[in-house]
Amino acid sequence: MLRLDESFLLGKYKKAFKTVSKEGTPIETLFNLMFRENLIDGLLTYSKEKGKVVPKLILREGEFLQPQVPFGFGLNSLLKKAIQKYRLSKLAVFGTSCVLDGLNKTQYYGIGCNWVKTAVALKVGQLCLGNITEEGIRALLLHLKGRGEKLKRAFIEERELIFQTDKGKLKIPMEVLHKYILSACRYCLNLSSRGSDITYVQKERENEGLFIIRSERGWYTVAKLQKRAPGELKLKGAGQEEVDSLVSLLREKILLNIDSIIDRVEIGLPVPKWSGNKLRKFYRLWNSIETSDFEEEVF
Amino acid sequence: MFFKDKVLNEEDLKLKIGFFHLSSCSGCQVAFLDMFEKIVEFLDTVELVYSNMLTRKREIPFLDVAFVEGALCVEENYHLRLIKEINEKSKLIVSVGACASFGGVRRLSCGNQMPQPQHNSFIPLTEIELIKNKLKYAIPGCPPNPSLLENFLLALLELDYDFLQPFEFIASSNDASGFNLISEVVNKGFCVGCGTCETACPTRAISFSQSCGKPNFTPSTCVHCGSCLAACPQSFKPYPQPTY
Ligand code: SF4
Ligand code: SF4
Ligand code: SF4
Ligand code: SF4
Repeated sequence: MLRLDESFLLGKYKKAFKTVSKEGTPIETLFNLMFRENLIDGLLTYSKEKGKVVPKLILREGEFLQPQVPFGFGLNSLLKKAIQKYRLSKLAVFGTSCVLDGLNKTQYYGIGCNWVKTAVALKVGQLCLGNITEEGIRALLLHLKGRGEKLKRAFIEERELIFQTDKGKLKIPMEVLHKYILSACRYCLNLSSRGSDITYVQKERENEGLFIIRSERGWYTVAKLQKRAPGELKLKGAGQEEVDSLVSLLREKILLNIDSIIDRVEIGLPVPKWSGNKLRKFYRLWNSIETSDFEEEVF
Repeated sequence: MFFKDKVLNEEDLKLKIGFFHLSSCSGCQVAFLDMFEKIVEFLDTVELVYSNMLTRKREIPFLDVAFVEGALCVEENYHLRLIKEINEKSKLIVSVGACASFGGVRRLSCGNQMPQPQHNSFIPLTEIELIKNKLKYAIPGCPPNPSLLENFLLALLELDYDFLQPFEFIASSNDASGFNLISEVVNKGFCVGCGTCETACPTRAISFSQSCGKPNFTPSTCVHCGSCLAACPQSFKPYPQPTY
């Protein structure tokens, strides 16, 4: 049965760590150290260029500057360049679950890009509440503030998604965000990047983040880097409170997504990701509960 | 399935495969041969019994799986004879690549090639009634990646139906182009903006638009290879997913 509990929303993981880096953001430090230790020969991720977030292939330590606005598109368009042109064989990928999904499919079938199966060294998933274009961000800020503001950073702190604009900090209500994100993101049920090696969550302070370590490979990588450069990346087990607050934010957003999926079902449109059977069962369940039961975790 | 029958009834357990060439550039066969470099570890279970590039045999032997590249040129008697012979002598047919599966660049041909002055017509194998019962799988791509061909062959040997299922589905669709990507994924609201389709496209008919977060499609350069739709994570998903 489907439950909107921690195991559905966050998926399986070994341990969550509050991570503090000496310089730069924790995720920048992680990849820089991986380059230094020769654990990777390339990094496929988004980067900021001329004020815009664009997909970029990073080939050296120090080149990766994490865009503080965590929205971007088309990351996998550089996959062929990375693997077939540059012949990278220890590629790290840092992106949202849907990007990793495209990568997984390419690895499993071999369609799209040749020999990807053995070329990926680490998949770091970004916790994601929906992807949004620049225009979408402008419209969202206009909706909330009634005037144009410039988005500088976005992070998650205490059950909230916060936008830091040129005029100050702003809590983003999930139902407003839901209106402005890409349509496919309204049906996404893997916001926490289940299936990655590590899920990353950016916190308010630039040098603070959350590492949710899922796989053996993620565990081994972080342990090795900790050993080699203990001062550069400090990890401390995250308390249950931290995890609960993340789960509650995810639950709020997933409920909106489920609602949007049901809207599609009701008018007979195909639904993404779910096999018909799974969804029919789910739909029956949904109809058998009262709206007031949401708080009680009836799934 | 034929392979199960083979295991139960035949003494020689090697899977006999052949590669056949119809109207095509031979790119698919080159990709197929490229793949052979990687499959040394299971070469003892497979035997290449016919290939116009690699084997010396002129006569087509009986075989288990016929991999066929290229579209059928209806004006070419040799093609008509060949397709009948493949149908007679093989247990299963797999169309390899765009030309054989959807027409590919052949679809765009209006004939007039020397030395045949007449306008020739090219028909993908998936549309030929005679072989409908035997043509079970179609592989997209122009050419398909050798890694895809390797995985496909492995799945065939291991009877991995989860893997094979989409290729069975592709065999029953007559066309797969960038238009289908737009109609099946983007217009249905499923495009997540991951860019996998751009990487999959061999002709740059798909380019990624950063401003709208979705792919752009240029029909004039599309060769109908089906790679974009097949590679898109939102098209079909029977591959390992994170567990819920
Ligand atoms: S919400 Fe889901 S589909 Fe949308 S960008 Fe995030 S991970 Fe991808
Ligand atoms: S599908 Fe492409 S590579 Fe294969 S034979 Fe046709 S034109 Fe050549
Ligand atoms: S758009 Fe590109 S990948 Fe898609 S069918 Fe056309 S040529 Fe193939
Ligand atoms: S591969 Fe599919 S989901 Fe990804 S950008 Fe292309 S159409 Fe969109």
